Amino acid sequence: MLKLTDINRKLGDFALTDINLEIPEGQYYVLLGRSGSGKTQLLELIAGLEYPDSGTIMLDNEDITRRRIQDRKVGIVFQDYAVFPHMTVFGNIAYPLKARKEDKKSIAEKVEKAATAMNIKHILERNTEKLSGGELQRVALARTLITSPRLLLLDEPLSSLDASLKDDMKRLLRNLNKAGQTIIHVTHDYNDAISLAKRVGVIHNGRIIQEGSVDEVFKNPSNRFVARYAGIRNFFRVEITREKGILSGITKHNVMFKLEGENRGKDGLLIIKSDSIVLTKEMPEDTGHNIIKGKITEIIPSEFGMEITLDAGDLFYVNILTPVFEKLRFVEEEEVWMSFPSKAIVALKGTV
Amino acid sequence: MSRNSIFTWILMVLSSLVLLFILAPLAGMFIHTGGAQFLETIKDKEVQQSVWLTLWVSFAATLFFAAGAIPLSWLLARKKFPLKNVVQGIIDLPVVLPHTAAGIALLGFISRDGFLGKAASSVGLDLVNHPSGIALAMAFVSVPFLINAARDGFAAVPERLEKAALNLGASQSKVFFTISLPLAWRSITTGFVMMFARGMSEFGAVVIIAYHPMIAPVLIYERFNSYGLNYARPASVFFILVALLFFIALRLVSSKRKEKHINIDAETD
Repeated sequence: MLKLTDINRKLGDFALTDINLEIPEGQYYVLLGRSGSGKTQLLELIAGLEYPDSGTIMLDNEDITRRRIQDRKVGIVFQDYAVFPHMTVFGNIAYPLKARKEDKKSIAEKVEKAATAMNIKHILERNTEKLSGGELQRVALARTLITSPRLLLLDEPLSSLDASLKDDMKRLLRNLNKAGQTIIHVTHDYNDAISLAKRVGVIHNGRIIQEGSVDEVFKNPSNRFVARYAGIRNFFRVEITREKGILSGITKHNVMFKLEGENRGKDGLLIIKSDSIVLTKEMPEDTGHNIIKGKITEIIPSEFGMEITLDAGDLFYVNILTPVFEKLRFVEEEEVWMSFPSKAIVALKGTV
Repeated sequence: MSRNSIFTWILMVLSSLVLLFILAPLAGMFIHTGGAQFLETIKDKEVQQSVWLTLWVSFAATLFFAAGAIPLSWLLARKKFPLKNVVQGIIDLPVVLPHTAAGIALLGFISRDGFLGKAASSVGLDLVNHPSGIALAMAFVSVPFLINAARDGFAAVPERLEKAALNLGASQSKVFFTISLPLAWRSITTGFVMMFARGMSEFGAVVIIAYHPMIAPVLIYERFNSYGLNYARPASVFFILVALLFFIALRLVSSKRKEKHINIDAETD
């Protein structure tokens, strides 16, 4: 459906580089990236608000690279909604229909239908200046969907909504996609990606650095940047050695990890998921796991329990659940033991 | 008393001095104008005609030039083009020129030997000593006020709204008339009032182009020169009062739009 080939676009010091992307019809594609990564710029190229310096954009096998915004049939909902402040909700939703010079009766019917679908029928006559973020979002979405876009682009649609509105909006977007609407959704939020995406692309410094299903991307992050998105904070640059048949990685602070698998190179970047590490007050029995002693430097509450920072030469971050913490009563400055199996260690393919 | 409040007092005293500087001469003029003298001036046909001429010519000049000034403002706010800074400098030029010099420059352009003068006389119109010439002189020195205010107004319209409208299928002209223009309207109206006011009070450029028919500033000058301060004062007071009334009316019209929005909000809340 949408195919981007070798897209390049320079914007001052920043550049979108070698963007290749293929999105089939009915896809919910989430493009994940930090602010300034180029995700909004990429959306604007697809929508036609900007043109690429090189490369092609094909939509349903038509080259739309240089086509006017008005003629693309690609709808975009901006992060700040871009709802027209001098018009009522009705005026906003009716705007594209009036631009097409549809007759008044048809406009009224279509606006009412769109407003009902978005649950904003009761505010149709209101001025937009005092609407809440959630209402503005629905107005912007209704206004775009009324044009029946072939492709819907959403720029951070959930970023300024509170938790309950976020859930409503996610449900709405999921239903839209189920009804066949192809969606590209850009966000900086990993949780949005895992809860909505059928496919995820991670964009960093103007390049798409990893792409795949949610599982593929977050279970096998290709680099430190993607891993950070999956909430992984334990990164270690190591020198990899094999002595007496045992593969190991040693950090420059002499923390040693037992590794599994083949020796891929001399240097590597290892990650360990925070919840794979078990903490004990006594040294655990040797079961072939990695066992490392460290001193607790900080204990802070986290979503499901406590996040404990340990200094073992290198810093480790460990998540433990509240019941476990309440049982073991760790305190700062205490020396404890970490253990984790070798299979909990993932060697990244590249580094960022 | 804290240091902060002493500082505030100093600011207030300095501000009061400036306000006094503006108000005192005006108040003095009103005080020194006797009621009978003022009534006599109001009834004076010559004064009435000159005030009316000043108002309508300045208004017409503003309306006529707005047709070109507003699109130019949009271009300045939205588009990048070569020598844009030079264009901006040219627009501001009439503001810094001595206005009599501006009048001389304009006279060369609109007299029968000048480019525009020749074109006008070919259709039987002599721009010199004619309201249309006065309008040109007024516009020459006052159009920067409209262009700059409208440009700031267009620049303050989020470009995203225009892009959103294009994305919704509107043509460039539809976006201009339905999004850019309504959202910049308040600044445009302010510019309109400023241009009108500046044009109306113009003396230097106008007096070079047309001593007759006499606009109010020329009439006041002539009365002062011929008969002295006491004779010029009532005409000045009358002109100021009429101008004030006109401004208030224009301001009310321009603020009505905002009030309308506020009322809609209040009704629907």
